[in-house]
Amino acid sequence: MEETPQHCLSRLPDNSALKQQELPAHRLYFTARRVLFVFFTTGIFCLCMGIILILSARSTQEIEINYTRICANCAKLRENASNFDKECTCSIPFYLSGKMMGNVYMYYKLYGFYQNLYRYVRSRSNRQLVGKDVKAVEDCAPFKMSENKTPIVPCGAIANSMFNDTIILSHNINSSVQIKVPMLKSGLTWWTDKYVKFQNPSSKNLADEFRGTTKPPNWPKPIYDLDKKDPRNNGFLNDDFIVWMRAAAFPTFKKLYGRLNRTHHFIEGLPAGNYSFNITYNFPVTRFQGEKSVVLSTLTWCGGNSLFLGLAYTVTGAITWLASFAMMAIHITLKNKQMSFFHQ
Amino acid sequence: MSRATSVGDQLEAPARTIYLNQPHLNKFRDNQISTAKYSVLTFLPRFLYEQIRRAANAFFLFIALLQQIPDVSPTGRYTTLVPLIIILTIAGIKEIVEDFKRHKADNAVNKKKTIVLRNGVWHTIVWKEVAVGDIVKVVNGQYLPADVVLLSSSEPQAMCYVETANLDGETNLKIRQGLSHTADMQTREVLMKLSGTIECEGPNRHLYDFTGNLNLDGKSLVALGPDQILLRGTQLRNTQWVFGIVVYTGHDTKLMQNSTKAPLKRSNVEKVTNVQILVLFGILLVMALVSSAGALYWNRSHGEKNWYIKKMDTTSDNFGYNLLTFIILYNNLIPISLLVTLEVVKYTQALFINWDTDMYYIGNDTPAMARTSNLNEELGQVKYLFSDKTGTLTCNIMNFKKCSIAGVTYGHFPELAREPSSDDFCRMPPPCSDSCDFDDPRLLKNIEDRHPTAPCIQEFLTLLAVCHTVVPEKDGDNIIYQASSPDEAALVKGAKKLGFVFTARTPFSVIIEAVSNTCVRFRSPTSVKIVPVKWHVCCKVQATRAAITQHCTDLGNLLGKENDVALIIDGHTLKYALSFEVRRSFLDLALSCKAVICCRVSPLQKSEIVDVVKKRVKAITLAIGDGANDVGMIQTAHVGVGISGNEGMQATNNSDYAIAQFSYLEKLLLVHGAWSYNRVTKCILYCFYKNVVLYIIELWFAFVNGFSGQILFERWCIGLYNVIFTALPPFTLGIFERSCTQESMLRFPQLYKITQNGEGFNTKVFWGHCINALVHSLILFWFPMKALEHDTVLTSGHATDYLFVGNIVYTYVVVTVCLKAGLETTAWTKFSHLAVWGSMLTWLVFFGIYSTIWPTIPIAPDMRGQATMVLSSAHFWLGLFLVPTACLIEDVAWRAAKHTCKKTLLEEVQELETKSRVLGKAVLRDSNGKRLNERDRLIKRLGRKTPPTLFRGSSLQQGYAFSQEEHGAVSQEEVIRAYDTTKKKCRKK
Repeated sequence: MEETPQHCLSRLPDNSALKQQELPAHRLYFTARRVLFVFFTTGIFCLCMGIILILSARSTQEIEINYTRICANCAKLRENASNFDKECTCSIPFYLSGKMMGNVYMYYKLYGFYQNLYRYVRSRSNRQLVGKDVKAVEDCAPFKMSENKTPIVPCGAIANSMFNDTIILSHNINSSVQIKVPMLKSGLTWWTDKYVKFQNPSSKNLADEFRGTTKPPNWPKPIYDLDKKDPRNNGFLNDDFIVWMRAAAFPTFKKLYGRLNRTHHFIEGLPAGNYSFNITYNFPVTRFQGEKSVVLSTLTWCGGNSLFLGLAYTVTGAITWLASFAMMAIHITLKNKQMSFFHQ
Repeated sequence: MSRATSVGDQLEAPARTIYLNQPHLNKFRDNQISTAKYSVLTFLPRFLYEQIRRAANAFFLFIALLQQIPDVSPTGRYTTLVPLIIILTIAGIKEIVEDFKRHKADNAVNKKKTIVLRNGVWHTIVWKEVAVGDIVKVVNGQYLPADVVLLSSSEPQAMCYVETANLDGETNLKIRQGLSHTADMQTREVLMKLSGTIECEGPNRHLYDFTGNLNLDGKSLVALGPDQILLRGTQLRNTQWVFGIVVYTGHDTKLMQNSTKAPLKRSNVEKVTNVQILVLFGILLVMALVSSAGALYWNRSHGEKNWYIKKMDTTSDNFGYNLLTFIILYNNLIPISLLVTLEVVKYTQALFINWDTDMYYIGNDTPAMARTSNLNEELGQVKYLFSDKTGTLTCNIMNFKKCSIAGVTYGHFPELAREPSSDDFCRMPPPCSDSCDFDDPRLLKNIEDRHPTAPCIQEFLTLLAVCHTVVPEKDGDNIIYQASSPDEAALVKGAKKLGFVFTARTPFSVIIEAVSNTCVRFRSPTSVKIVPVKWHVCCKVQATRAAITQHCTDLGNLLGKENDVALIIDGHTLKYALSFEVRRSFLDLALSCKAVICCRVSPLQKSEIVDVVKKRVKAITLAIGDGANDVGMIQTAHVGVGISGNEGMQATNNSDYAIAQFSYLEKLLLVHGAWSYNRVTKCILYCFYKNVVLYIIELWFAFVNGFSGQILFERWCIGLYNVIFTALPPFTLGIFERSCTQESMLRFPQLYKITQNGEGFNTKVFWGHCINALVHSLILFWFPMKALEHDTVLTSGHATDYLFVGNIVYTYVVVTVCLKAGLETTAWTKFSHLAVWGSMLTWLVFFGIYSTIWPTIPIAPDMRGQATMVLSSAHFWLGLFLVPTACLIEDVAWRAAKHTCKKTLLEEVQELETKSRVLGKAVLRDSNGKRLNERDRLIKRLGRKTPPTLFRGSSLQQGYAFSQEEHGAVSQEEVIRAYDTTKKKCRKK
């Protein structure tokens, strides 16, 4: 038995690094020096980033005007759903103290509107919106069919509750001269929405394509009348409609309403001066104790004027630094009397 | 006490009658054996049943069924079913691989060849065709294909020698003898004419019992006993051939009756995990209830006013409906992949044990074998070790080395100066074959010099040569001693070397030749009469009982503290020590001792001791043994280890781990056990962590979406989280994690304490991880939420949606969770890199592809275009650094602080390793420039094996050693005493 030749050792395990668990490895190591170094650099980096972000956020300008209560009579009118066909307009003057340079974006912002409710988010038909089958309304409960069993287009709760105020911004150069600020209603959507997810059945005659369907109950006009002047902004391709169809994550959200057309007077942006918003007030928010406002904003490389990210960086950096100082203190005090296990 | 080994717990099967040479009358089970779990047909139903019986799988099946109810599931219909199927498939593949091996092994056995007499002709057939009533011929060296009644053999008086190692682990030869009535049935013709019946008891598992009658036509009834039965699995030795009649076949044979499935052992960690799964399930229910209550409240306060959903159906108001929705929403709090991950991880760990070349014994070509992978981590927690002595500790290699006669000690150890090490026991089989190292001329000199103790010495040597059951066999001038136990052989050989040569045995005397190997040589054969001694117990009973009670009282003052003494107790005394009244005191005493040796104990007592200790101390016990008599304790202990190789298969077949040498236990425990524990617990904790992180976010989101059950992430992203995007890190943690190198694990056995005391996995650690996960999920949700809530994050001014937030959060979660795995990893191998970076990359690639498939493939319309927008947002990239950093910096700070305040032994050893690697050889100095003595000593040991003092003293709290009690089918002693080796045996070689 003792003289077993090598080739007979049929069951000798393979002597490879993997099988013998001797794969080369390197180790994460939490020595005080390394950790301190990492913490210091992280802290410095975060503080710098924070300051940069705060500075850039402050370089943007933003004006928000909450018009829920300013247009009190309109709000009251809309409390009652039976007044849906009565028009109500409202003008809100405001003064722009400094000029808004560069691209200016106009948003409407809703407070307390839950676009993220489970049954609300689901209530849409992507197959319908892509233009393949306008009568596909399976997923749209409870806005699938009208009472006389004709399919609703666009179906679903999202489409039905589309924001339908019109907001027009005017520049009051002096007390008598008022010019309308040119706003672009194109390029408001994600590229994929406009060119992939939302398609009209065919471009020739929309009304024909949508024959046999009905408009959502809350809508004053059918889908093919959203923008009669511009066929590329009509039907499912309407930018306002597409923007609305992207369900927001939080009950407070803003959606892009228009972009400043930088021509003539507004080539550099919005000059300082007196402005007014002329609003056709259709969208009822007081019924669910919500609020709505209109926002004008410029943007920078990292977005709008919210300071949160900058502050978060700064605070994280500061905490990291504090932690590293604390650790350094501990390290120095303990360094001399550091107990070794083997001395015990 | 229910114990699998206790015999006689079966209902007796009806007795059977076997007709000789009338095969059509014998209708019994065939000789085919099958130890496999499944066949092709039964696989699917049985496998599914096995899987669904597990609580976690049943839970996920329940969730999958719930999802089929329309409108209840926020995550679609198949998001649980598909991962479940993936997971079951993996588990199924593992089962198939394992079962295939069993099928192969069965096949090999079933296809072995044997010779039977059929229709008057000897046929060579395969084992599975052997039937009850067949007359078989087995030749020397072959294994018996079934349980056979011995008729005749090539030896006189129908004697034959068998080795029953497969059954009871004993390698010595046993004698079986056919009835004298059948001894002359030696030819085919005689056998063909045989007619009559054999009546015998039904199949049972009693190895040493057999009762039956042979009723040959025209002859009187004769009784058959265990002496006449040759069991399946025994090997015919030193006998040219035997003829026999098959009485039990296949699963009716005693071998198969005894190889019942070992009791299913579950590891401590697994039990704790199950409890924690239950706790998590409770938390899940609470979360679902809270959310449903929230939904109820929200619907009351908002539902009427929100005109944009007012017309919705009423299901959203239904509490029960909402509850189901939320259970589905939060179900992944319980990690769906945990069970299968653990299974694969443990399977691989078991492979590592099998692959270990350090545990491969070149002597008999035996690698270590993990027969179960359930208990790997249990090996890291052993506190009490129960070892069989004979065979296990000694490898059955006995040398006569030293003796003490009348107070004088003879024999010396040159190596005594060295610490005795576990190496000494087994690692090196002694090269000398006469198994006698005794070399002390003083002994013989004292006889010759008429030293005052000379008569004692003579008496001693005479006794050595006389009191035993060894059978001498003359082989030319040499005498070969056939001994049933190696200690006897060693003693007799010792005596021989000292001039008292045992040469022959007759039934009533032994013959000793006293040869002095000094200058004066004389021979004087001495005949010593043997007076049979009967084993005098009865009268001692009361006395012993009184004595042990007395002793226990005396020893009472020793109780309750660590005694640096060993307790030795023999089987008889043990019987009383384990009696109800004194059991407690005895146990307390035993537990306070460093070691306890129980000698001459029965197998039942062995397992009883294990059981008592197991119940009393709630610590993990390990039993190691090599013979059939150890099976009981091997099965009773938490972990059973069998010594495989030369000692038969019984212990091995019932063990959880089989190693070839006792010394390999060191590596099995200190390296494989500790590592496995470390790995498994890290893997489990990490799985819980990552699930809590992701799915608690759904709860946070519920707070801002009116408890409507909306999910923040895309449904398939959630569904694949466990099975793809974060599937790899648990595997690398579970398979490749190494807290420190093998050498260090062996060199510093104190490290074993970490796992032994379960420091890596207990309720505290578990909740620590859960709370950590909770904090991480808070950061991971609220940071992006606050950053994205009011701000325009896209430089194009576009608005975002819920999935935009969801995908950002999801990406942060994947990155954080993968990096966390990296932090948990002590040894970054290439696989760790693959898992950490690969997982992140996989998600990003999936995200990119998944965002483009609608409407080409009609799924995930909401994902269309997400990747481009998310990746082009500066906020995303800024947060990608900030959020994981904010999460993990807390972990790092915590760990670094702990490390700075007080280094654990593990960290110290790790540091030592790194330093010794960096410096080549580590000479560590303290702040004064002095060498650190202890460290220095430790480093000096580099390359040397562990001193066992450390091993014994600090790691394993206690050892129990058992000394084996002989037993056998027929009293071996009696047979041997009847031997007369002076007569010539007519054996044809």
